[in-house]
Amino acid sequence: MDEENGIVKLVSKEGDVHEVPINVAKMSSLILSTLDDDEEDDDDDEETKKHLEIPLPNVKNAVLTKVIEYCKHYTNDEAMTQIQTPLKSSKIEDLVQTWYAGFVDVEQTLLFELVTAANFMDIKPLLDLTCLAVSISIKGKTAPQLREIFNISNDFSQEEEAQVREESQWSQEDTPAVPAAAAAAAANEEEKEE
Amino acid sequence: MRQQEQEPSSKKKKRKNQKRVRLVDFTCIEEPHPYGVLPGGNRFFGSSSSSPSSSSSSSSVSSTNNNTLSDNLWQQIISFCDGSTTGRLIQVNRYLYVIGHQPELWRDLVLRKCQSEKLTISNVGPSWKDTYVLLTTSTLNDDDHNNNNNNNNNKYKYIPHQPIRMTGIYSDDIYRSHLCRSFALPSVWLQQQQQQQTQTQTTTNNNNNNNKEVDTVDVDDMTSQQFFTQYEERNRPVVIKGAANGKASEKWKNWNYLMNNSAPLPGNFTLEAYHDYTQDTNYLEESPLYLFDRNAFTTNKEWENDFFPEFHRKCSYWDPSSNTNGKCGHDLLQHLGNDKRPDHTWLIVGPKRSGSVFHIDPNATHAWNACITGRKRWILYPPGQPPPGVFPSADMDEVALPLSVGEWIIQYWTEHIEQYRTRPVDQRPLECTTHPGDVVFVPHGWWHSVINLDDSNIAITHNYASPSNLGNVLRFFVDKQDQISGCRDRKESIKPEYIHDELVKVLKIKEPKHLEKALQQTGWTCRAWDEGDNKIKVKLSTRQQQDDENENEDNINKKRRTSAMNGERDDGKKQELTSVMSKTDTVSTFSFSFL
Repeated sequence: MDEENGIVKLVSKEGDVHEVPINVAKMSSLILSTLDDDEEDDDDDEETKKHLEIPLPNVKNAVLTKVIEYCKHYTNDEAMTQIQTPLKSSKIEDLVQTWYAGFVDVEQTLLFELVTAANFMDIKPLLDLTCLAVSISIKGKTAPQLREIFNISNDFSQEEEAQVREESQWSQEDTPAVPAAAAAAAANEEEKEE
Repeated sequence: MRQQEQEPSSKKKKRKNQKRVRLVDFTCIEEPHPYGVLPGGNRFFGSSSSSPSSSSSSSSVSSTNNNTLSDNLWQQIISFCDGSTTGRLIQVNRYLYVIGHQPELWRDLVLRKCQSEKLTISNVGPSWKDTYVLLTTSTLNDDDHNNNNNNNNNKYKYIPHQPIRMTGIYSDDIYRSHLCRSFALPSVWLQQQQQQQTQTQTTTNNNNNNNKEVDTVDVDDMTSQQFFTQYEERNRPVVIKGAANGKASEKWKNWNYLMNNSAPLPGNFTLEAYHDYTQDTNYLEESPLYLFDRNAFTTNKEWENDFFPEFHRKCSYWDPSSNTNGKCGHDLLQHLGNDKRPDHTWLIVGPKRSGSVFHIDPNATHAWNACITGRKRWILYPPGQPPPGVFPSADMDEVALPLSVGEWIIQYWTEHIEQYRTRPVDQRPLECTTHPGDVVFVPHGWWHSVINLDDSNIAITHNYASPSNLGNVLRFFVDKQDQISGCRDRKESIKPEYIHDELVKVLKIKEPKHLEKALQQTGWTCRAWDEGDNKIKVKLSTRQQQDDENENEDNINKKRRTSAMNGERDDGKKQELTSVMSKTDTVSTFSFSFL
């Protein structure tokens, strides 16, 4: 079967079908292995192959669209430079090409969803890029700010928190022992000083 | 110890005194995870047993849209973060506290910081994180002093890290890393094995592969004749007890004596700091850093004197200058000149559980490894079918395998002990423990993995070509030119494209008979390269070499990522440590023998 010119249909969480050229979709190891498996199973049913749909119940439309956009650009236009640690720079424009830097310049929610989608669909360069973007976006943030960004509650006990804070003075944070709102205010002050 | 029963018939295999080691012997660790992590299943038995999806006590964290980021995603994100960001993440909540304190993360941060800011680690804390904080506070204070000349106080204080055990954190991934760092060392590994039979019986043992242990012979009982005919020419390993005893084993126990070394240490440690590092058991990590120094004996004549004269006297088969029985027996590569030949002799120092994952020594050479202090466990697989968990590429240029010894043990030990039963007799693995004073002969082409068992382990190792493997070495220099190692990053060394011809040239004069015999060899005589190699090379002329060069260019450009081996890579670049958070990686099969 002339696979390379074929199309695969990816079904988002909402049930919408996204048609993607196979050579682009193969960037996802998940899709690649699904296709390979199917090839072995369905020996002669051309009809079935044409209607091959791969459900991605974890991935919403907006996210899937972005993922496909990434894969298309990577495959057709310009492959992304590989991200290697240690990072040469903390600016994303120094590490990947402009298009890719712009690609991850999205709001936080979408960025996290891209991380999860890249992980689920097993697309390594996209996973690297999105994780890198997350790490850059949290740089310089204080612990209270980080809690807000990730929607995490502070579950330390008083003693634990005190000890951790004391040990961490070197990381240039000055979290006073007060509730979140005041801490956020103090953090804002500190940011101005830095 | 079990009473050994009298076996009525010789048909039955000999019962070993030693119990077989099973996976549980490694995983039955006593120390809990330093940060309280428990394997995933415990989630259902925890006293704070809310449903697994509850945010605060589960192993995942909710983001704004209730997308959970799993352990490995967090690890990936954190691997891109710098020290101060990581230092703040651990203050966010208990889960991030635990995940952000993994020792490999902080080790990476320390080494990166040293590399980029050209720092030396002179002050070592009880954990990698402490070492990082010490480094950071000291540089911050230095900057501070430089900016405020009158300020004598240190604004930034180092407060030692006290691990807090968090309850309610369940994660198989994180717990498994803990196992890989702190696996138990089976007691049978640590014991002196029964010394095996005398000289006469070792002959029969060679053909009796029901032995799971490498042959062991006392140095006084080993003659050159015996070594050549029974081991080197048959390509069989052997442990020679007492061969390394002498001045070195006495003097080198004293760390101060070794301190005058100018060796490049991993992570820019000073020697003193490295010593502290090796002594401190708090540094539990998956692949502990170890030092190997290829210049130790060229720059340090005293050390050379401590070891080699006595060693060569006891083991004349390894004396490069001897000419016993009309055979020179050792080290034909010496004729290239000691600085021109590829790297050949290393001093190796490493802490407990440091070690090397499976590899074959470079350039098709034989090797001996002398234990000066500390014990090592060896696992060897004969040339040919690779060990479990090791997946070489067809041309043997690359191999995928677990990154750390711990990981290999956890994942493949059970399969490994099966090999004693299922493999054809001549493909079965062998194991042994070398004790201080022992020297093990690792024949060319043998896969081997080594684990350091004591707090401080010092060894010397040497790679060489003898008449028994010269043919393969010459062939390697032609067929596997891009895999030649130990000569690319030194100015004075002969470069890979010339080594073959230079060796032929010099051996024509010095050892013409051996050379002639080696050149008559058609094809490999060792399965390590034979099975993977589809092309049959017959003549080893220079023209052939030219053709190979063109062919190998692709191979040279092939990406070769490295495992947790430290030191200089052959492509001339100082190796960057890759994060050990990923479990398997592709490495170059032929690496330095570093243990």
